[in-house]
Amino acid sequence: MLLGEVDFVESTGVMVVKSVLIFIGVFLIVPVLTVVERKLIGRFQARYGPNRVGPGGVMQPLADVGKLLGKQVFRPENAIAFLYAIAPGLVILSGILTLAIIPFGNVEDGVGLYGIDVSIGVLYFFAFSSFAFYGLLLAGWASGSKYSFLGAMRSAAQLISYEVSMGLALLGVVMMAGSLSMTSIVEAQGSIWYVVPQFVGFLIFMISGFAETNRSPFDLPEADAELVQGFQTEYGGMRFGSFLLAEYLEMFVVSGIAVTFFLGGWMGPGPPWLDPVWVVVKILSLIFVFIWVRATLPRVRYDQLMSLGWKVMLPLATLNVLVTAILVTVL
Amino acid sequence: MKEVAFFAGAIGALGGAIAVIGLRNPFYSVLALIVHLVSLAGLFLLLQAEFIAAAQIVVYAGAVMVLYVFVAAYVGNVDEPLWEPIPGQRFLAPLLGVALFTEIGIAIVGSGLKAIDSEGPTVKLGFGSPEQIGKLLLERFLVAFEAASLLLLIAAVGAVVLAVRREDENAGESAG
Repeated sequence: MLLGEVDFVESTGVMVVKSVLIFIGVFLIVPVLTVVERKLIGRFQARYGPNRVGPGGVMQPLADVGKLLGKQVFRPENAIAFLYAIAPGLVILSGILTLAIIPFGNVEDGVGLYGIDVSIGVLYFFAFSSFAFYGLLLAGWASGSKYSFLGAMRSAAQLISYEVSMGLALLGVVMMAGSLSMTSIVEAQGSIWYVVPQFVGFLIFMISGFAETNRSPFDLPEADAELVQGFQTEYGGMRFGSFLLAEYLEMFVVSGIAVTFFLGGWMGPGPPWLDPVWVVVKILSLIFVFIWVRATLPRVRYDQLMSLGWKVMLPLATLNVLVTAILVTVL
Repeated sequence: MKEVAFFAGAIGALGGAIAVIGLRNPFYSVLALIVHLVSLAGLFLLLQAEFIAAAQIVVYAGAVMVLYVFVAAYVGNVDEPLWEPIPGQRFLAPLLGVALFTEIGIAIVGSGLKAIDSEGPTVKLGFGSPEQIGKLLLERFLVAFEAASLLLLIAAVGAVVLAVRREDENAGESAG
């Protein structure tokens, strides 16, 4: 039903198996990411970071998850029970659904190494990443708390402001590749990765990506000093853990999209079976940049964030699309 | 499988639409409208219109409804006005509703029912793909497409102008 420009049909069994594999693989990466982030930030700040649980602190995520699961499930009196409960689910749903289109490798032996290859490609990403917005907003609204509500409103405004520039940044690549399909875009980068001709697009995409994932320096929704964690204020236990998990998932997905569109996807030296390894290595390097930036840059003010989004990123992205369109037609 | 998907989408669309007008709290109405729009997108998917389905979610659920949710969350829980904003609305509305229902009913009975036992039209490969839709918009329907974009541009410029004027008034008030 959803399959686009593929000239083969996979059996349902194959699709289920690979979905489960990708799902488990990424879910195993996420806890590792949390400990890597804490370790790295520790190093950036000239301290050790977690080093008590297991050798070098590597078992820290297990302890964290154990703690989160063991907490009492708590709900504020003012909260709206139903919405309060489904909000974290929506955020996770958005992360997992968008994960499906990231290609980890080309078609090998009749099996594509990706969840699905949709003909609408990146539109699928925008369609399902918009669900995250409702997760945040419902979390803030249903918590029945001023801090949560303000945090949710901020993140909502931030999400819609940067989504436009993000889409325009990818449009340049779509025009150069002449396709929306993720695998075709990777294949079009055989001679040169799009990060070179589309460097402006890459920069805009990454900066918008920081805003979309609510990561520092754009982590205003959870600005601890003013909003005490924003929309997450009233959440505890594994529901809070779900938001955390979703943040890492989104970071993984945004990096995955950037790798697919700009960094040549599975392209890399070595035999074909190394393809998925290359994708994961590239994604992890981008996630390192996320952590690096978090350790380096201070949080921007809300009005700075908005004027950067609307007055710098959006015109720049539009200009990039215009220039690319002209060049693609002329050359 | 297709039947299950169809009925899930249809029930979501109808239930969402009824909930929009049935619910008292405007915030819930907006949420119901989102359920309705997402279900519609599912129905589009069943009709092989992937691009329309994605556009439906990106534009309506992702952008338009975001504004609705904003407004409803900020100024929600406003008491309903005690008077009727449009006089005679209480009687006029059901009348117009029934008229519309009859009209659509006649249209459906007149044309659509013939195809109900068939398999439906055969769909060409690549039907409804972004490529085809782009060609249609920029070749066959170019004038309508440009007119619509001009209209949207005027609306956007108008919104900016109105917002700036209000800011000036506020500045004048605070200065005075």
